[in-house]
Amino acid sequence: MTNARQARTAREKAAEMRAAAARKQARQRATAIAGAVLAALVIVVASGILILTAKQDKTAKERAAVAPPANIVDGGLQIGSSSAKVTLDVWEDFQCPACQVFKEQFKTEIEGWVADGTVRVIYHPVSILNRYSSTEYSTRSLNAFAAVINADPTAAEQYHDLLFANQPPENTAGLPDAKLLDLAEQAGVQRSAVEAAITGVEYRGWTETVTDDFSKRGYTGTPTIVVNGKQVEKWEELASTVQQAAG
Amino acid sequence: MSLPDIGEMVNPVLKQRLTTAQPWLSALTRLGLAAMFAVSGWSKVNELEDTVRSVRAYQLLPEAVVRPFAYGLPMIELCLTVILLLGIGIRLGALLTAALMVMFMFGVSMAWIRGLSIDCGCFGGAGGEVPDPVPGYITVLLRDAALLLVSLALARWPRSPFSLDGLLGAHYEQDGKSAPAAR
Repeated sequence: MTNARQARTAREKAAEMRAAAARKQARQRATAIAGAVLAALVIVVASGILILTAKQDKTAKERAAVAPPANIVDGGLQIGSSSAKVTLDVWEDFQCPACQVFKEQFKTEIEGWVADGTVRVIYHPVSILNRYSSTEYSTRSLNAFAAVINADPTAAEQYHDLLFANQPPENTAGLPDAKLLDLAEQAGVQRSAVEAAITGVEYRGWTETVTDDFSKRGYTGTPTIVVNGKQVEKWEELASTVQQAAG
Repeated sequence: MSLPDIGEMVNPVLKQRLTTAQPWLSALTRLGLAAMFAVSGWSKVNELEDTVRSVRAYQLLPEAVVRPFAYGLPMIELCLTVILLLGIGIRLGALLTAALMVMFMFGVSMAWIRGLSIDCGCFGGAGGEVPDPVPGYITVLLRDAALLLVSLALARWPRSPFSLDGLLGAHYEQDGKSAPAAR
């Protein structure tokens, strides 16, 4: 081997080593960046969770400090006799078109069951459809309903029906407070008895409580129809399920 | 770490083209995933109570964990938006995306197997009830499988222009060679 050749080999080796060192350094840098990014991500996510949890706790405390509406029976509006053999729970949302259809379709039948004393109905409106209006109509309508039950439970059933009859289409602003008040008057409530509660959304905390309750029971959609604790999946089976429960 | 050669199975011309296009494809992938996470994360944060109910509807987590999970998930999605958009820690971001997709596919599969009728809540929404959930489940599983492949490809070829990784001199091992993250 000549000297020149040896020198070139040595130079090549040195270059290779330098390149390898540079590669190693670059890889280490990529690892260091990934580590820093991961640490930052963990900090951001953890503090986000902590902040939102603290906010939720505060809301829950404020919610507990406001009295719920009066005249609520088993979490909703009871129609019929408390001693009825069959309890029909109807979980619904005033913004939900299928609930409006259900009400139209079964109103007469349900009224018959209530009249002969076999069934008591508990209407449980909840607010799960706020994303379908620009003004949280789901919450506002439920709050207005709570205000009416609180002021006069005998007017509440008619108010319930009026809210469905006047249901705003999805993805609109929903009914304004003035319209909610007009309907309350139409149902037979003194405007002054509900005005502050409706415009101030005073029962917002209660609307959140009942909606949480709905979700924690494992219900996910409206209307959810429950007969003596058992969910009725198919509407056409409602009558037979009620008759069976009545014995 | 030795990675298999990308072009061994394809002809040299195609290989050359793929090698040239790869950084741009990776940049495009980053942008697409970042946009998706921006939408899904933002819509979940915006209607946080819907997100909480949606997580609960899967019936996979104990109640004590439902809220922290529902708060944390959109945070992670928004963090991934930033990571992928800025291109800092691209390989990590891609692997986290892949992990999220596996988790989503697990959740939806479990809902399907257990006969739940829920909406996935992927882009917000309340995990509401749907009459026939199966087409939705299939759509979500196919979409997430595709996104899983895309994110794994990005983890395999993270080198891309317009990245902080490149500016900071982090060089990703790719095709058994190390080259600048951006040129």
